[in-house]
Amino acid sequence: MRRSYGSRVPRSGVEFDLFGSGSGATPIVAPATPGSSPETAIPVASLTETARAVIEGSFSPLWVRGEVSDFKRHRNGHWYFCLRDASAQVRCVVWSRSQRGIPASPDEGMEVTAFGQLTVYSARGEMHLNVTALDAIGDGLWRKAMEETRMRLDREGLLAPERKRALPSAPTRVGMVTSPDGAALRDVISVIRRRAPHVSLVVSAATVQGPGAPAEIVAAIQRICRFGEIDVLIVGRGGGAREDLWAFNSEAVARAIADSTVPVISGVGHEIDVTIADLIADHRAATPSAAAEAAVPMRSDLLAALRDMSDELCASLAERASRARSDLESGAMALRRAASIDAERRRAAISATAGRLNALSPLATLARGYAVARDPVSRATLASVADFKPGAPFTLTLRDGDVAARVADKP
Amino acid sequence: MSYEKRVERLREIVADLEGDGLPLDKALKLFEEGIEILRLASDELTSAEGRVQLLIESAEGVFETREIDV
Repeated sequence: MRRSYGSRVPRSGVEFDLFGSGSGATPIVAPATPGSSPETAIPVASLTETARAVIEGSFSPLWVRGEVSDFKRHRNGHWYFCLRDASAQVRCVVWSRSQRGIPASPDEGMEVTAFGQLTVYSARGEMHLNVTALDAIGDGLWRKAMEETRMRLDREGLLAPERKRALPSAPTRVGMVTSPDGAALRDVISVIRRRAPHVSLVVSAATVQGPGAPAEIVAAIQRICRFGEIDVLIVGRGGGAREDLWAFNSEAVARAIADSTVPVISGVGHEIDVTIADLIADHRAATPSAAAEAAVPMRSDLLAALRDMSDELCASLAERASRARSDLESGAMALRRAASIDAERRRAAISATAGRLNALSPLATLARGYAVARDPVSRATLASVADFKPGAPFTLTLRDGDVAARVADKP
Repeated sequence: MSYEKRVERLREIVADLEGDGLPLDKALKLFEEGIEILRLASDELTSAEGRVQLLIESAEGVFETREIDV
């Protein structure tokens, strides 16, 4: 008999001694022993229930190794499959409440180890293994679970490179979601103090491993985003076993990172650990220290940049002033030029007017040898014979002056 | 104004000063503003002492930061 598994003795609650008292083909039993004759036949339920008690009493929960076949996920959430090898198989069930500790459902044909209690399902009279822990040989299930989460996020475009936000060039307040007494926080503080001692760190605390970790990390991310007074956020923890880092593969944590109001840098574990948080963060740093380095530039570099800007500012003002001076000079020149053009134009206008005036002047007529007679007192022109009284004096104006004259007494 | 915003404003000022068409008195005002921003930014880098604080949120959603010693 292969009853060497486990160490428990059968439970005291066994109702019937079905294994009998002897080994003969027709054991001699007392008529009162249930099942020993048609008259004392036991109900099926008693049989299966007794078998269940015997089997559960004989086997402690144990690890079984085999290949998964006929995997079914029932509507009620439970998983059913067979674990088999070349010559045998056992039915397995994983109740939905037991699935929490299992990263993903196994694939058909996957080589797994299952931990559970062997029992009998009375309603069918079938033996099955009631599985509470399951792992693929190697990292199979963890990898599968991560891959499933990755694909869901990818389908929604949350992992697209164009979603990645640029990190601030000079943050003065860095946020961090981590455990307040973990190594990651100490590493980040020492990097910030060394590189940028002016930068403050605000810690939003979360348990980073164990069953409650994803919810705590999500709450801590949302809390610091509501707080708001940070320029960039580091989410991470120090190194640990694969299970310890598992919270950072949670879909809820990934979505909280994607929804963060400030750019997020992930820094989880060691260089070799890549988590879903790393894939969705705006910047992936290999470790918490590297995350801090990515978050804060060296203060000396910032000061040098300020000096450069100060130089640029002074140069641009000097340039502006020299431009103003040359504008002034060219303005003065234009003014002088405009003034001289104006004077020339006036001169030309005057001479043209003078020419026209000259043409109209009677003096020009006199110049040609004519004379004009005028009254010596009123200087009125005497243009008609009637204007000349016999013996009256008058003035004759010629080209070069006046001549006093008198009308003859008799014509 | 955040450090980054200050630096951004400084770059704007330099670009404006380098551009055309800025009256001289405006240019001088901008220059003065630039010098003041430089002073504040540089103070922020050299005189501020970075702190480490734990963020605490009350049930009413009021935030408090408490210095922690690590």
